[in-house]
Amino acid sequence: MSSVLAFSVFGVDWQFIKPFIVIGLAFGGVYALSGVGLVVLYRATGVLNIAFGAIGAAGALIAYWLLNHTGCPEWLAFTVCVAFGGVVNLAYGMVFGPAFARRDPLVKMMGTLGLALILLGIMAWMAPVGGAFARFLPLPSSQHRYAIFGTSVSLTQIISIALALVLTAGVSVFLRVTKLGTAMRALANDREITATLGVPVRRVEAAAWFGSGLACGAAGLILPDLLTSLDYSALTFLVISSLAAALIGRLSSLWWTMIGGLAVGLAQSVISPYASISAYRSAAPFVLAIVALLYLSRRRVVTISRATG
Amino acid sequence: MGTGKKATGTPIKIGGIDMLIPGVDFTTVGKVAKAYFDCVNDNGGINGHPVKYILYNEQLNPAQEAALARKLVEKDKVVGIVGNTSFAECGTNAKYYASKGFVVLGAGVQAECYSTPSFAETNMGPRYSNIGAAQALIRAGVKKIAIATPDTISAYADGGVVQLGKQKGVEVKVFPTHLPVTDATSQLIQMYQFAGDGNGILIDFTPDTAPAFMKAAIAQGIVNKVKWGSSTPIANTFMAAQFPEFDGHLWINQEFSNVDPSVGPDSALMFAILKKYAPKIAPQAFSQMGYMDGKFATHALLSIKGAVTAASYNAAVKGLKNQKTDMLCKPFYVGSLSYHIPNNWDITVDYKGGNVVVKEKCFPIAPVDNSITQTRKWEKQYHLQG
Repeated sequence: MSSVLAFSVFGVDWQFIKPFIVIGLAFGGVYALSGVGLVVLYRATGVLNIAFGAIGAAGALIAYWLLNHTGCPEWLAFTVCVAFGGVVNLAYGMVFGPAFARRDPLVKMMGTLGLALILLGIMAWMAPVGGAFARFLPLPSSQHRYAIFGTSVSLTQIISIALALVLTAGVSVFLRVTKLGTAMRALANDREITATLGVPVRRVEAAAWFGSGLACGAAGLILPDLLTSLDYSALTFLVISSLAAALIGRLSSLWWTMIGGLAVGLAQSVISPYASISAYRSAAPFVLAIVALLYLSRRRVVTISRATG
Repeated sequence: MGTGKKATGTPIKIGGIDMLIPGVDFTTVGKVAKAYFDCVNDNGGINGHPVKYILYNEQLNPAQEAALARKLVEKDKVVGIVGNTSFAECGTNAKYYASKGFVVLGAGVQAECYSTPSFAETNMGPRYSNIGAAQALIRAGVKKIAIATPDTISAYADGGVVQLGKQKGVEVKVFPTHLPVTDATSQLIQMYQFAGDGNGILIDFTPDTAPAFMKAAIAQGIVNKVKWGSSTPIANTFMAAQFPEFDGHLWINQEFSNVDPSVGPDSALMFAILKKYAPKIAPQAFSQMGYMDGKFATHALLSIKGAVTAASYNAAVKGLKNQKTDMLCKPFYVGSLSYHIPNNWDITVDYKGGNVVVKEKCFPIAPVDNSITQTRKWEKQYHLQG
């Protein structure tokens, strides 16, 4: 351990904080990745998909099974994990999307809660905890480590952060430049008018379901490596931090969602060395989301009217 | 027993309750006790009567634990309770079992398992096992110990190490851990930052959770930088095979003998029973607990003269003394005591080439509180170990 102590931050040596910044940004990258997926889907369909974590966890368990119980090569198992997210999301969107299309956002969200609970039940049934064995889904990229600013950083951590940046930039460009992206933005504004204008609504929604599902699958692949264990319940609750990121982006801004994801990851991790507040680290996503929402809506005028009769 | 013929008489009902939650599976204890009884049943049973073992799982829910104990005793009409292991069941049901005159032969975790008359555990539990691991680390020269335990049992399980640290002038910091663990790397870095190079990190988790910390240690490159202590649960070959990086760096407190069929007849029989009756369960410390629970319950049943009832069985359990086994440093006993800590000597083991090897032979757990001191007085006073 370094004995040269440069300076301290609120009483904790900077050398001690550095590894937590790396860990936090890596987790934040995953939150940002899934947060962006959530926002894209919400903008196109009005559905806040809280089954995101469960879908990613199920994909990761399938990849684990393929790697450990069949002769499946790693690249194929990892591809299946990501593709599973896309396929399950797409299947749900195609089967239940039309039925929920005209319902309140809350009803749409509760539909995805049902999907999350079903997937959790299947995972508990097919891959129960216990047997006194832990499951792992390590990525080959964790074998590569680099010293950056005196802190050990794995390639997986770098990929996590880079993927969040690339996905956010890529989706932003896609929504602006392509026909499909323009249709998605139009859907976000007004589904009925967009349909009247001849946009194939269901096809556009299918693309949103599938694309956001791929982001969810990618998050499900990276997170077990960062967590150093494949625990489907922990993965399922990834959605809480991702939701906080999406709320910071007000369910509309991809860049703010990405920043929100990184901030949530960073906040959760950096408070770890502070003994007096580290017990509250799990509250960080909610606190950040509330602060962001209050700040972003500070100039909003709320009109309250009362019907007279 | 020992006839080689299946028992066909009226079944003798024995029950058990094991905890199963995300991150911790204690059902192995009950499953191996059942395997032992299955072997007994295939070999004549208890004077011709098979043992019918009823095992329930609970999810760390006191209402469920209380209901299952009452179901076993009042509805299923079991004569005894064997193989229980849980973070909380001892506390929930200690008074109930006492009111019914039951003494549970199980494997304990929380304080009530070792401080009430209702339980006689074949293991010493995390508190004493952690003390044993800390003793080994201190003998190895550490000056600081960071210890992590599931938060639900932390105060009890870590408390002994804190007391030992005070006695020995070793700084101890406790890291209660919520399960399932969601960020093992961050916690491990905190522990390492406290302990520092050359000092001790003690982890007290089952093989469902400990690997997350061990993987994180490998990823962070700190395996060689500290001395690693652990309570018993990770002392098994499947963990040793998964973590060769830890070879030579571990001081694992093993509450039982090394898990090896060559240790003696009980160890050999456990391997044979697992192979035939529970092939999916790997030989490990939890298997040893279940095996001994089954063995000592069977000895109690065989000692009964006359009808096997709840009263006669539990009286026979209290009569267990000087039960020799190659799985324990000292003989097991129950006796009519206000609490039982019959397992209070143990060994230290390490990983080597995919195997678990003995690092230190049997030594007494340090009497950091009065319970162990009193227990050793009773052992002499009542000749509980011969």
